[in-house]
Amino acid sequence: MNIVEYNNIIDKLSVHVKSFQEGFSLLSKSSTLKEFGTDFCRILRGNFFISDVNLFFKGNDTTEWKSVVVHNEKCYECLPYLKPSPEVHIEYFSENEFSIIATLPSTDGSFWGLVIGRKIDKSEITEIDKITLQMFLQLLDNAYQSFTNQKKEKQLIFSLNHRVVQLNSLIDTGIEISKLHKTASLLELSLERAVALTNASSGVLQIISENIIVSEIGFPGNFDREKVLSSKNKIDTSVEFQNIKYLFTLSEKESRNGIIAFDQTDEILLQAFARQVLAALENEHLHSEAIDKERMHQEIEMAATIQRKIIPQHLPEIEGYDLAGINIPSLEIGGDYYDVTKLKDGRYLLIIADVSGKGVASGLLVNTLNASLNAYVENDFMLTEVADRLNKIIYKASTPEKYITGFIAILDPLTGTIEYLNAGHNPIFYANNGKLKKLDKGGLAFGMLDFAFPYESARIQLYPGEKILFYTDGITEAMDSEDEEYSDQRLESFFLSENPAKAKSFIENLMADIKTHTKNTPQSDDITALYLSRNR
Amino acid sequence: MMSSEFNLVTEAKDNCIVINTTGYINNIGGQKIVDEFYKHNSNGINNVVLNLANSNVVNSIGISFLIEIIEKLNQSSGKLIFTNLDPSIEKTFTIMGLFQFAKKADNLEEALKYL
Repeated sequence: MNIVEYNNIIDKLSVHVKSFQEGFSLLSKSSTLKEFGTDFCRILRGNFFISDVNLFFKGNDTTEWKSVVVHNEKCYECLPYLKPSPEVHIEYFSENEFSIIATLPSTDGSFWGLVIGRKIDKSEITEIDKITLQMFLQLLDNAYQSFTNQKKEKQLIFSLNHRVVQLNSLIDTGIEISKLHKTASLLELSLERAVALTNASSGVLQIISENIIVSEIGFPGNFDREKVLSSKNKIDTSVEFQNIKYLFTLSEKESRNGIIAFDQTDEILLQAFARQVLAALENEHLHSEAIDKERMHQEIEMAATIQRKIIPQHLPEIEGYDLAGINIPSLEIGGDYYDVTKLKDGRYLLIIADVSGKGVASGLLVNTLNASLNAYVENDFMLTEVADRLNKIIYKASTPEKYITGFIAILDPLTGTIEYLNAGHNPIFYANNGKLKKLDKGGLAFGMLDFAFPYESARIQLYPGEKILFYTDGITEAMDSEDEEYSDQRLESFFLSENPAKAKSFIENLMADIKTHTKNTPQSDDITALYLSRNR
Repeated sequence: MMSSEFNLVTEAKDNCIVINTTGYINNIGGQKIVDEFYKHNSNGINNVVLNLANSNVVNSIGISFLIEIIEKLNQSSGKLIFTNLDPSIEKTFTIMGLFQFAKKADNLEEALKYL
């Protein structure tokens, strides 16, 4: 070899090395295998002065050769000469249409097959060409490794991002469905998200009550129900709330290469979605209950307002007498009642009553008593007859465990005469000439029995300086923290000893004395008192 | 809320196409979008508006098709603009990094201004 030939070879190899470097950069950036192969064949053609370059790819030992670049259809006839093996295999042919057939193994277990035609100038393959081919096969191998690594890196980033999407969507869906107060909407949304985040083709949510499917939701809209449920490639999970089962079934996990099996993450995700649905259903139920409770509270508030109107805000002023009363319900609606009404004939009707129990039902009975009593005393009446009628009407209006104890008195202010009737109520205190008398004549509590033992009334004379205390057992039974009652004795003693100038002061002092006894113990029963004293 | 069967309608504008989709963008939906894109891209269309007003659910396979379109357009200095995105899809695309190489617009009019 002379110096000129030597320099030519050096120049030629320098060009190939430059081409090798540029080729590596170009091939590494390929986005598809087709693009990779096309660019490689272009590089090879430029360096070999051969137009006929054909490239095949084989994914692994078991797959068939796939054409990547085909310049000459006859190259398919050379496929049997491609020898997939762990070593590079190259065969050169001098007489054939194709001069080189090479098989190159890759590190990922795939193979490249190269079928190269004759040089454009029809010359034979030289030793330099053989070295050049080795160089470019090395380029193919290195660039393909770089190409696959970049693809793997992209897939890894995609996969990591998808995991973030899954977690984020799981959180967002939980928040979104907790805001939905319509069961159908929250079920639809959760099914959509579960299908999308597990890459399922479709999903069905069955709502089952007593082993009967009462409703079904599917996604997407055109899903084939039977196909989903009978699929061998499916996952399912269920949650149960108030004896209703919510069964989620997802089918056919998608990939770019067709349907693949669901993995454990998909099952965990689906179970997480189902648990979110359960939490949302519970929230929805609690929300609904809260609305009902609020509505009930408003109704009770309204009933309490009505009842407060029954209790007199101001008592009538009776010349020669002083009156004061108080009613402190322990609940919003109490079962105690008192009233003082001026009758047409100038007399006054005083009543105190206590319904067994408290709350709405007791309040309703108080209203019935109030309305009935006002109706019966419109005209002339006999107290015992009124009591009898009240008994019957309360009996009809109430349940067996409900009844009303009451004390009714008719005061003639001119004479100080009082006709009274005690219907099962605690004895009313009457201070007569400095001595305590208990007014208990009457009969059974109203509403206790429909057949009435005849009610009896009695008369007393209230003289100047004398007084009467109507009260309910909420006073005598007011307890301190050790369940010690205020007691009849303490009330009797207080009644006899306490003689303020004003009835209002008596009531205030009584309340203070009760509070001294109970301290901060919560009130357990309604407290009601009506105090009447005769001044002159 | 429930999406019907996937379908798309393409409108040709001056220098771009607007692909309007309806339904779940999964393997089937994504493939249809990519096929539609290549059909027009082979005729020299390099600007695409993808109107997802009627698609509020997309899975990661559907997203991989959209990334394929973005990569293809990036090689030829083309543009892909998403419009009318459901908030959950917008968040998903943000996390997946789609807006590093594609734009988003509130509506079609605004999308066309980017081109």
